Order: sequence, then C-alpha cells, then structure tokens
Amino acid sequence: MPATAKASILHRVTGVAMFFALVFVIWAWAASLSSPEGFAAVKEVMTSFIAKFIAWGTLTVLSYHIIGGIRHLIMDMGHWEELESGNTSAKAAIGLWLVVAVLAGVWLWF
Amino acid sequence: MVLNQASLKRDGVQDYVSLRATAIILTLYTLFILGFFLFTPEVTYDNWKALFSNLLVKAFTLLALVCIAVHTKIGLWQVLTDYVKSAALRAVLQFFLYTLAFGYVAVGLFVLWGA
Repeated sequence: MPATAKASILHRVTGVAMFFALVFVIWAWAASLSSPEGFAAVKEVMTSFIAKFIAWGTLTVLSYHIIGGIRHLIMDMGHWEELESGNTSAKAAIGLWLVVAVLAGVWLWF
Repeated sequence: MVLNQASLKRDGVQDYVSLRATAIILTLYTLFILGFFLFTPEVTYDNWKALFSNLLVKAFTLLALVCIAVHTKIGLWQVLTDYVKSAALRAVLQFFLYTLAFGYVAVGLFVLWGA
C-alpha cells in the first residue's frame, strides 16, 4: 500500500475511532466537574492501565487526525498534489505522528 | 439556491467549507486544552472547575461540541457512503450515530450549565 493510501485510511480510521472515544472523554469530563469526589474518582480510574491505554489511544488517534488534517489543508492550497510530493508528505505525516504517539505515551506513563 | 441555503439540504461546497471550518476550531480547542494540562503544575478539582467556570471557556467548549456534531456528521457520512452500500442500513446507522452526536452536545451543554 503506498504511503498516500496509508495516510488516507488512517485519517478515516482515526476519525471514526475518536467519535466513539468521545464517550469516555465526555464521561471523564462530566464526572470530573460534578464534584470533588467525582474528580477524585476519575483521577483514581486514570491510574489503571486500561484507562491510561484508552487515554493514550484517544490522544494518538486525535494527533494523527490533526496532523493528517493539516496536511489536507495544505493540499487544499495546491501543494503536495503530485505523486512524489504526496508520498513524501504522507510519510512525513505518519513519521511525525509516531513521534507524537511516543511522546503522549511518555507523558501519560512517566 | 435560496431554498437550498434556507433549508438543511446539503451541498458539496457547504460540506467542504463546514468540514474545514470546524476542523480549524477543533484543532485550536485541542491546543487550548493541551496547553492547560501542560502549563498547569498540578491539575486539581479547583483549577479544573475554575477553567470551566470561565464564561469564555464555556462558550469555546460549547462551540467545540457543536463543531464536533457538524464535523462528524459530514465525516461519518463520507465514510458510510463509501463502505455501506445498502441505503436502508446506512440510514439506520446514521440515525444512531447522529443521535449519539446530539447526545454529546446535550450532555456537554448541561455540564457547562452546572459548572
């Protein structure tokens, strides 16, 4: 699969994933603002591996969607539309995303 | 065309512009929230609650929630029309997904109301 196709399918998958991840995000947001006890409960939940993994997954799909989205906006302005530049920018977007995904993991776990 | 604009009928140009306008707002909102987490030494109930008590933050958050509904309505439609060929099944899926999107906005509105 060429890099451009990977970038395209990743944009779709991350978009759909985020739509469902919002269930967790909005739950955590609503509960944490409900009362000091609610905030403490969310903080407690967030220490578990599974919650951290969901949070990491959410940040990771969000970051790809934003990076890919910015690439699309640049393409809207008429850049990176040729085979070579399109493939290069797709590879750069995926590469940058992997770095951000690792940083998000470091932020959450350390 | 006037009728088109006044109704909720969709056209490609409207979708194209709406998708990008909401994307920009959602990116800015993401950076704003990320900035809060990065630059707050310790996020506590008090400073978290204070953030969402701010009228401008409430407005920005509600704007972001509405943008999520608009953005996902277009994006999910694009994905569904490509992969779900049965119009009946697509209609059912869209009904549930758009209802969930409305739920996000409604829950968000009441959370902001109480915060």
